[in-house]
Amino acid sequence: MNRTVNVIVLILISILFITLQSTVLSPANRSFFFPDLNLILIVFLAIYTETRGSFLLAAGNGYMMDVLSGNLPGTFTISRLSAYLLVRTSSNHVYLKKIVVQGLVIFFATIFTWAFILSIIKIRSNSGLQISVSEVLIQGLVNTVVGVPLFIAAKRVHARFQK
Amino acid sequence: MGLFKRRTVIVILILFFVAIQLFSVDLRERNSQNPVSKFVLTLTYYPQKFISSLTDKTVDIWRDYLALLNVREENKKLREQLNSLRQERFGVAEIKAQNKRLKKLLLFKDETAYPVMSANVIGASPSILRSQVVIVDKGNIDGVSEGMPVASYDGIVGRILLVGDKSSEVLLITDPVSAVDAYIHRTRARGIVKGIGTGCQMEYIENKSDVSIGDKVISSGKDGFFPKGVIIGTVTSIDSKGSFISAAVAPHVDLNSLEEVIIIQKSVNNVVLNE
Repeated sequence: MNRTVNVIVLILISILFITLQSTVLSPANRSFFFPDLNLILIVFLAIYTETRGSFLLAAGNGYMMDVLSGNLPGTFTISRLSAYLLVRTSSNHVYLKKIVVQGLVIFFATIFTWAFILSIIKIRSNSGLQISVSEVLIQGLVNTVVGVPLFIAAKRVHARFQK
Repeated sequence: MGLFKRRTVIVILILFFVAIQLFSVDLRERNSQNPVSKFVLTLTYYPQKFISSLTDKTVDIWRDYLALLNVREENKKLREQLNSLRQERFGVAEIKAQNKRLKKLLLFKDETAYPVMSANVIGASPSILRSQVVIVDKGNIDGVSEGMPVASYDGIVGRILLVGDKSSEVLLITDPVSAVDAYIHRTRARGIVKGIGTGCQMEYIENKSDVSIGDKVISSGKDGFFPKGVIIGTVTSIDSKGSFISAAVAPHVDLNSLEEVIIIQKSVNNVVLNE
């Protein structure tokens, strides 16, 4: 696939994921037992994509989360960009190509993102916008369980298009 | 730094401090006129609308399928008749239920002093951080503007937080940022109904006030947002703290299963928020 098609496909997947997350997979309907597809996509972008500017896609993804979850400015945009950078930095590590390690990366990326957001909330306000540690851990597990098969499927699809 | 490069860690620390500066739960500080935010809302409108209607249709088909499975166990001859009757009855029941809801909405429309428009809920928040947000299929081109109160025939739902061209975000009354100036219907004791995520809490009720479990809570109209006299919920428990009484309020509207709402086209005079 050439780079333009790659970018378009990733943007479309990003919009699809945010739509699913704000409709059938919204935590308002399913509590916290829902996968954060957009975070999984960001980890995927950080590990696999060679596309230049994929960090912009990660930031855009976070921005859409910001807007649709009550217009909290910058919260998701910056936390997800940071998660992206963190994973991206270590993406050359040989073990990161192993699926078990990727599962761990998704789990810890979830924990990192929420630790980032909750630290900001703690410093800036006592607004009652809180989620518990158990909720974060459950989401980390759900993301891992959903993310790993998605990664495997995405790799296969990508390999097929490469042929 | 081992696994992570020092430069990355520094960049993340800088981003963290930028995020602290940007973050605000204060709605007044937010740039709700931001065209990019509006674009995102418009961009997601069509897929949300599509998935929302697709989900409804899938549920209908699934229900029809379940009905068919039950009928299969019965006599072959009667099965066809039963099947068609059940489907018909299901259709009629659905229409009746919808009719009932819409009638109540119409009644609400007649009762309120402001012009209103009905809207369908097409989405909700994608995040567990703030799940007290829903998205409705009416926006700027329909005359919706920020701050407009949103209700259902059962009572107050919330208010418009962000407006896109064709859809808008509604902040529910159970969100921690939400606050409604309210009365206890029976005694007119005044307080502020704040969101606590899972429900609401009526605070700042004077200690000498008469409040009992089961009392209905209605909007006072004094916050400049919500019209006077719209039901908010029912008092479920009372706690006396210092010179004030605090009462837990169960919202009258089932906010987890919102389908149709009405947007009250009332201009916002003043803002009272739970900051």
